[in-house]
Formats: sequence, structure tokens, C-alpha cells
Amino acid sequence: MAEDFLQVERLCKRFGGLHAVRDVSFSVGRHEMVGLIGPNGAGKTTLVRLLLGILRADSGRVLFRGQNLLGKKPWEIVSQGLALTFQNARPFARLPVIANVMVSCLSPRASKRGEWVKKIESRAMDALEFAGIADMAREPASCLSQGDLKRLEVARAIACEPDLLILDEPFGGLSPTETGLMAKSLRRLHKGGRFGRLHSEGPAMIIIEHKLSELMKIVDRVIVINFGELLAVGTPEEIVANPQVIEAYIGKEVD
Amino acid sequence: MFAYLARKIWRDFQGEILALPTRTILFAAAVALLLLPLVTDDAYLLRIVATASIFAVYAASWDLLVGFSGQTTLGHSLFFGIAAYTAALLNLRFGLPAFLTIPAGALAAVLAGLLLSLPALRVRGPYFSLASLAMPIILMGLIFSFPGLTGGEMGLSGISRLAGTRTGEYYFLLISMFVLTLLMWKIATSRTALIFHAIREDEIVVRVSGINTTYYKILVFCCSGFFAGMAGSLYAHFLRVVGPSTLDIMMSLQVIIWGIFGGVVTIYGPVVGVFILYPLLEYLRIIPDWRMLIFAGIVVVTLRFMPEGISNKFQDLLERQCPRCKERNIFMRKECRICCTDIGTCSRVG
Amino acid sequence: MIVLQKGVRKLWELILINGLIIGGQYALLALGFSLILGVARVLNLAHPAFYMLSAFTIYTFSQVLDFNLTVTYILSLVFMIGLGVVIYQVILAPVRAQTSTVLILGLVLGIAAQELMLIFYGGQFRSLTRLASGTMQLGDAVISNQHILALSAVMLSLLGVWFLLFKSRFGIPIRAVAQDREVANLMGIPESRIAILTMAVSVALAVIAAAMVAPIGVIDPLMWLHPLVIVLTAVILGGLGSIKGSIMAAFILAFVEVSLVFLAPGAAFLRGAVSMFVMLTVLMFKPEGLYGVFMEGER
Repeated sequence: MAEDFLQVERLCKRFGGLHAVRDVSFSVGRHEMVGLIGPNGAGKTTLVRLLLGILRADSGRVLFRGQNLLGKKPWEIVSQGLALTFQNARPFARLPVIANVMVSCLSPRASKRGEWVKKIESRAMDALEFAGIADMAREPASCLSQGDLKRLEVARAIACEPDLLILDEPFGGLSPTETGLMAKSLRRLHKGGRFGRLHSEGPAMIIIEHKLSELMKIVDRVIVINFGELLAVGTPEEIVANPQVIEAYIGKEVD
Repeated sequence: MFAYLARKIWRDFQGEILALPTRTILFAAAVALLLLPLVTDDAYLLRIVATASIFAVYAASWDLLVGFSGQTTLGHSLFFGIAAYTAALLNLRFGLPAFLTIPAGALAAVLAGLLLSLPALRVRGPYFSLASLAMPIILMGLIFSFPGLTGGEMGLSGISRLAGTRTGEYYFLLISMFVLTLLMWKIATSRTALIFHAIREDEIVVRVSGINTTYYKILVFCCSGFFAGMAGSLYAHFLRVVGPSTLDIMMSLQVIIWGIFGGVVTIYGPVVGVFILYPLLEYLRIIPDWRMLIFAGIVVVTLRFMPEGISNKFQDLLERQCPRCKERNIFMRKECRICCTDIGTCSRVG
Repeated sequence: MIVLQKGVRKLWELILINGLIIGGQYALLALGFSLILGVARVLNLAHPAFYMLSAFTIYTFSQVLDFNLTVTYILSLVFMIGLGVVIYQVILAPVRAQTSTVLILGLVLGIAAQELMLIFYGGQFRSLTRLASGTMQLGDAVISNQHILALSAVMLSLLGVWFLLFKSRFGIPIRAVAQDREVANLMGIPESRIAILTMAVSVALAVIAAAMVAPIGVIDPLMWLHPLVIVLTAVILGGLGSIKGSIMAAFILAFVEVSLVFLAPGAAFLRGAVSMFVMLTVLMFKPEGLYGVFMEGER
């Protein structure tokens, strides 16, 4: 099952002399929630940008339901059912919050899937409701706080009704309470169901995060990369105990 | 039945236009322009208003491209000039009548829009601005290279008239202006324009939202090209002379002056800008030496103190946004006309 | 602008000398333009108008008021820098946040300057007194001293700016502000004063261009329009933010123009179109310009 959902094979990307991503291979199952961790600069963000086609990969293959995603444009990839939230939230600052989400609702994928909802406003509103910022709907996005911006990113991504949701540091800049809430709503989204007029079949998720303690509670599997290379894959328990991972994060003990 | 319809129209009119002072002013101005030929038959005045309505369409099409979609072009005259030349050539060389050459000119401008969208897909920001500046200059070079066909420096003259009488031409242009700007305003408030806005703010994010930005960018170039082209071919038939000045860099820069003076991202802002600045410049002909200088002085002083443009400034002065439902209200109102929120104490939205 | 000289017979020599001088003039203007753009984030379209104004200031002082050349140059420098700083402080700096408004203001200021000069001096061509008379023998080529002087002045000022920016103590805060205004401000760099200083330098470059290169050709109130297009083109072609790039691009554009004028005199009216075509071609293949900061673009 894992083989025919998302499969990344020997993905490579260089920036000048720097190997940002080197020979990374992994796979994600249809109903999995996967954590992607690694020290700063390990190439996590680059990796997901390659998946979404924002950056062009040098070599390798990305198979999503058996179809190669490499070389496709970002919007084609999103139409296939991927979605991404940005690490440093990038709202359309001068547009109202709801308009930010409506842009996603206008995409071919979203409009095909929700044909029975005539008003994209109501779909956008439901996405905001889910993310918990419906009260800010008509304010310009430039007045949102950091936490609300993160929620806006999530609302924008789920408005596309993805099958695979990639979240780049969804807890970044959130307070411990907010982190807990966000983790909870991600779990809820992962289970699937109806959120107002939005329908979720429970997307698989890839979550990039530095707050490991929160992350480990919600994911099924963790992928660790360091210096652009795959370091380890395993359940949260295995990863926490893996000496290589500890070394990458904390450094080696000097004997 | 008729009474009901009339009442409904009156109610809509009251709610949509009379409720907001800026819309009332615009409406009154439009009515005044329509009645103008009944009051006066000053040919000079009518001619200025008619020319201004052509330029108003041109300026509004610029706003569609630059204000709404953020594709800051410095070569908007490409559309205007190409349409004017196409209309003139078809009219003179093939004897086509105006009702065919005007759409043909607009079509040529749409093709020019396709051409201009090529660099826009490749380069961004200031790089695109300059690439767009290049296009009309290159086209002008081509026009000078084939003086036999294009008339070279002298241009083409003797294009057929739009209508038999002066008043006919006046109404034709004025009503075309209303129709075309209303169309543009409809486009600008549609769903599609939301994507244009979003592309202006952050193109990458729009792509990752699953939207084919290439398609929408080409679309906005073609739309803007169409309206600017309409203006260009109307201009050719109204002035009955088309010269290289329609492609001139000043033609591109002028539209930016009008647009920013009037206020961008509004459609009606640039129209207001044209109707203030163009007659001003014309009437300054009484002191020919100082004309451009006074004009420049007025623009500088206005923009120095209202950098957001004149229509936005007046809107902020006369209207207030309700903090709750974001509807606009006349500044005297204490509570919102839609949701009855108390707005007396809030500050104006800047 | 381009003056055929007696004595220089070979075509490539003509192209070389004129290309270097005109390129130097464009480079000086492009340099000033990109300095104020980089440091103060002001797209000052009036910059080539400062060049035109400088030429007329020099004309006024030297030919109308009959001062000697040294006095003329010092007075013009002081006057123009004062004018530039005042315009920057009073008109451009307060609306700096709105880029489009700055754009228009710059443009309109340029038009205003042009009209003012038209009122005072009329539209006819005038020429400035040459600084140096006579010619010089260089190998088998004969070059007028004015050309030599212009060439060396241009090169010296380019070198001077390079020294100021990259080798002197004053360059560090300027480059810091250009990199990141907010951070530079937080580090205690008086950002507004740096911007004024930059404005002064950029106007001074325009004055030098006017003083050295303008005497070769003729001056008229419309002489800023063609350089405006070229300067914009050069700054983009060279890559925004790259001083080396804009200077290189200025020379490239000048050589394209000069070669066209000498090799195909009949097509001289196409010089603008050809320069534009060159820029368009480069941009299509190298969207970040010649020396633009190479960044793996998001696509």
C-alpha cells in the first residue's frame, strides 16, 4: 500500500557546490502521519519544495499514486492532491483573510471536489472555522498575529482538500497551549470527516517540526535527514533511541 | 408591474449609489457629461471631453494590469499604438469601416498582450518593467523602418470618422467609455480578479494553492490589451491621424501619471485622474510656455501630500469603513448602514 | 552626441573612442542611479534630468555669467548637490514608502526641469566650451584633448566611487544600508544621513558626466530622455544591486549604439530599438541580468 501512494526515489538537489538534498528515498502510506526532522539546514524545506515543484530537482523520482511528479508545475501537483503550508507564513497581505482562502477554493481541484457548494465564500469560511480564525475573516491578512498566520496557512492548504498535506513547521512561533491545540486539530483532520461544507477523507501528512516532543506524540513514523541525506526512518520510539539521531541533534560526546 | 420595477430600480439606486458620497459624485459627473452637449456647443470643450474618455479607458486598462495584477509595465503604449496603427491601416489600405477596424485593432492589442506576457512569465518585478519598456521602442523602430507602409515619422492620416456629426462622435465615445469601464469594473470585482490580486501579492503561493498562474497572467495581459486596444482604435478614428506618438514612451508614462494621480486598484481612480489631468493640461495651452511646468507642479504637490492618489484620498475623507462588516458609510453616519454597529467613535480607515 | 573627428580614419578607432566616452557617460549616470536606488530604495527617474540640469548650470555659469572654468565647476557642483539634496529631502524622501508615487514624482520632476530649461533657454542646441583644445597623437590615431580628458575623468570618477564604496571607511555604512536598512538602523547607522550622502554622490556623478562629456556634443533640454531609457536598461541588464553589472551594461549598450551609428548610419534612428532588443534577448536567457545576485529562483 505504501508503495503506490507517495514514493520518493533517490532525489537530488544541488545549490552550486552544496548538496541540499542527496539521494533521499522514502515512502509515505495513504493513511500515515509522518514526521520529517533534522537539524537546521538539513534540507527539509528544500525537500518538500522539490516535492511541490517549487524548486526543480536535479535527479530522482517522486511517484504519487504511480505518477511521476517531477517536472510538473506546482499547480498540477496540487491538482493531484498535494498541499503545502509555508514555513514562514506567506499571506496575501493586502487581501482579507477570507480572500486568502478563497484563492485556494478557486483552484481546479477544490472546485471540482466541492461542486455542490455554490458559494466558495462558505467553503472558505468553513476552512477558517476549522483552523479557528473565522472571527478574523474580513480583516486584512497583514494584521494577523504569528499564530493566526500559521492557522491561515493550514486553512489555505485544507481548502484544496488534499490527499497528502505537507506542513512546514506548523508549530513554529506558537505558544505551548496553541501548539497543543494545533496538534489536536491536525489529528482531527487526519482522521477525516466533514468540517462544515468541507469534506476530508483524512489526508496523509508530512510534518516538518523542531518541537520534537509535540511531534512525537502525533506521528506514526519519523524520517530523519541530516546534511541532505537520509539518516534514519522509524517509529518515534526507535528514533528517540537512535544514537545517530541523537548525535546529529546534540552532537557527539567527547570521550 | 412597471411601478414595481421602477420602485426596485430606485431602491437599488438609493442603496448602491446615493448611500455613498463618492459614488454619488461619480454618478452626477457621468450625468453631467451626458447632458453637456445640450448645454453648450463649444466644440473645443466637447473635443476635450471626448478625448479624455478615450484616455480614461486606456488608463483604466492600465490599472487592470498594473494595479490589480502587479505587472508593472512601462510599455503600456504598446497596446494603444498597435491598435491605433492596425485600425488605421485596415481602414486606409483595405477600406474597412470603423465597426470592423475597432474590434480588429483591439484584437491586435490582445495579440500584443500575448507577446508581452512572454517576458512576464520569465522575468519579474523591475526586470519585467524594463522588458516591457523595450517593446514599444522596438515596435517604433519597425514603424520607422517601413515608412512606405506606416507613414514613418508623419504617420497615417485621413482615417474615416466615427460618426457623422460632432455630437454623434461625442456620444459614441462617452458611451463606449461607460460600457468599457463598467466591463472592466465587473472584471475587477469578479472571482478572477481575486486571483489577479493574489498574483500581485505572492505568485509562488498562488501556484502552491493549485492555480495555474501562467494562464491567469496571460489572461490579464490579454484583457488589459483588449481594453487599451479599444481605446487605441477609437483614438485613431476620432483624431483621424495616427503617428508614432501613440507608441511614444511619453504615452506609457502619461498613463502612469494619470493612474497614480487618480489612485490605483480602483478602475475608477485612473478615470478620475484622466478627467482631471487631461482637461487641465489642455486648458493650460493658454500659457503655452508654462503649461507643462504648471502641470508638473500640480502633480508633484498633489502626490506629495496624497501619495495614495486623489480618489482614494477623497474616499477616506468622505467615507468610513465599518469595523465589523467592512461596508463603507458616509462620514456623517454614527452607525453602520448595514449592521448598525456604532462607528461614530472609530477612526477613519487609512 | 557622437562627433565624427577629422584625423581618426579607421572605423574601429572611432567606435572604440566614442563607445568608451559615451559608455563612460552612461556608466556615470547608471552608477548614480543605482547608488540611490540601492541605498535609499528610491527609483529616481529624475536622475538623468540632473545631468541635463548640470549641463545647463555649467552653461549658465561659464557662458552667460562668464565665470572662469574652475569657478564654474565648483559653483555648479555645489549648486547641483544642494538642489539634489533639497529635492530628495523635501519631495522624494517623505513618500519613499510608496514606490509607484516616487516613480511618478521622479518622472514629473524631470519633465518640470525640462520645461523650465525650455522656458529659459529655448529648445535650440547649444554647446559648452571645451575644456581643452588641440589634439594628441596616439600611435597613428589623432584624438582631441577633450576626448582624452573626458575619458580620464570618467574613469577616475568610476575608480573614485569604487574606492569610496569598497575601500574606505565611508563605504561600509553605505553598503550596510543598501543590504538591509532596518538592521543597519538598529546597528546605529544614521540611515537618513547616509541616504542624503548617497544622493549627493549620485548628483555629483551626474555633474561630472555633464562637465566632462557634454562639451563633446551639444546640449538641449530634451537631452535627458535618451539617457533615461539607457540608464534604466543598464541597471536592469547589469542586474539590480550590482554596481559592476550596471557599469558593464552601460558600456555594452554604448558600444551597441555607437557601432550601429558608425556601421549603418542609415539605421541610426534604430539605436534605441537595437539597445532594447539586446536587453530583451539577454533577459530572456539570463532573467537576473548579467551580474544579478544568482539565486535559485522559485518557479
